[in-house]
Amino acid sequence: MGPERMQRETRIAHYVVGVLTTLSLILLSLSLSSPVRSLKACASYIFDPISYEGERGYQKIAQAPSDLRALLSADVENRRLQDELRRMAWLKSDVESLGLENGRLRRALGLKTPAGRYPVWAHVMQRDPQRWYASVAVDAGADRGVSLNDPVLGRKDDAVVAVGRVIEVRPHSSTVMLLTDQRSAAAAYLSSGTYEGLIQGQDGPRLRMNYVNSEARIVGDDIVFTSPTSVTFPPDVLIGRVAQVNPRDPFLALQSVDVSPALDAASLQEVLILRAHPLAGEPAPPVLVEASQ
Amino acid sequence: MSFVRGMLLFIGAMFLQWWWNTHLAYWGAAPQILLALTVLVAARRGPVVAMFVGWAWGLYSDTLRADLFGANALLYTLAGYIAGVVRRQMDLRAGGPLAATVFLISWGYAFAIGGLGYVFAKSFFWVGWPTFIAAPFLNAAVALIGALAWEAWGGL
Repeated sequence: MGPERMQRETRIAHYVVGVLTTLSLILLSLSLSSPVRSLKACASYIFDPISYEGERGYQKIAQAPSDLRALLSADVENRRLQDELRRMAWLKSDVESLGLENGRLRRALGLKTPAGRYPVWAHVMQRDPQRWYASVAVDAGADRGVSLNDPVLGRKDDAVVAVGRVIEVRPHSSTVMLLTDQRSAAAAYLSSGTYEGLIQGQDGPRLRMNYVNSEARIVGDDIVFTSPTSVTFPPDVLIGRVAQVNPRDPFLALQSVDVSPALDAASLQEVLILRAHPLAGEPAPPVLVEASQ
Repeated sequence: MSFVRGMLLFIGAMFLQWWWNTHLAYWGAAPQILLALTVLVAARRGPVVAMFVGWAWGLYSDTLRADLFGANALLYTLAGYIAGVVRRQMDLRAGGPLAATVFLISWGYAFAIGGLGYVFAKSFFWVGWPTFIAAPFLNAAVALIGALAWEAWGGL
């Protein structure tokens, strides 16, 4: 420190000691009158709020550790409850999903299951855009008892709809050939006159019902169901509606109609596979009441 | 000394003095932490800062007693001033001179507070033998520990 600065500091120190000493002596000289007590109370509050608060202040300080402990416990509890809340949100989502599934299964109870068939639900897990109307992959395979040529149904509102059949079985998945595949064919009948024909895929959004008797008087919006003579599907399962009656060929004794499937391949999410073989130890399916169609 | 560190020292010292007086004072003997730190501040930061800080700490000590309101403010201010005078004569950064200064100022404090009582309250305020004997040693120890902490924290 330089001499000038030191002298300056000394000079300031003299002033400060003079002022502060004077202030202190004034405080000492004042009797403990009301203004002085107020000043002391004010200083006490500023410098020592604990003593100003009296016993209550000391109690607050004494309670600080327990308060801190309670705060930490509350923090731990809060984190636990937040985790619980997140689990509950997940559980809620699960319950909602189960509720939907329950409704779906309740409706499925209306299906007339053929004797010796064991229903199993599966989710559509893959579609090939280049073969959109040909096939889909589902998440049930040999592990769930699925076998070749098992009929596959879908659900449209409250009705069960024919979708296709199993053409390939893997351990945990299967491939379903849709009715719209041009290799597909199924015996079917028209609701208006019970005329039978053969539903065939066109590799497009529509089906074609061939070999219908030329005498049949087909009306628009006629409904098409699977025939009892079908070797694949159970009888009376909805396929679709007549979309167009094709012109008759005068040289043939048969006619054909175009059918719009009741279930579009793009909206297919879940399917019901009617298995021919039960799993080991699986009980026979319950006697089901026929659906009202 | 940064403002935040200074405020921490100012408030923390008051709390420490209160806590020691309340829980660790035996036979009335406890270090006068605020007095020792006033001398330390004077040794490190000069008398002006020390006098302001000492006056405020003294006022705080005065609020804890029922009589002689202003006595500690006066004596801590004078302690800061005297330490500043001594600082010009010797190096108070060294431990020995600092401890000796605090030791002597502590005894001076004991006589001065008694004298102030005699002047303003008509009776000599004797601090008691335990305090008179033990407090200077305790104060010197506090000053030395404070100086070590000051160094450790980079000058506060």
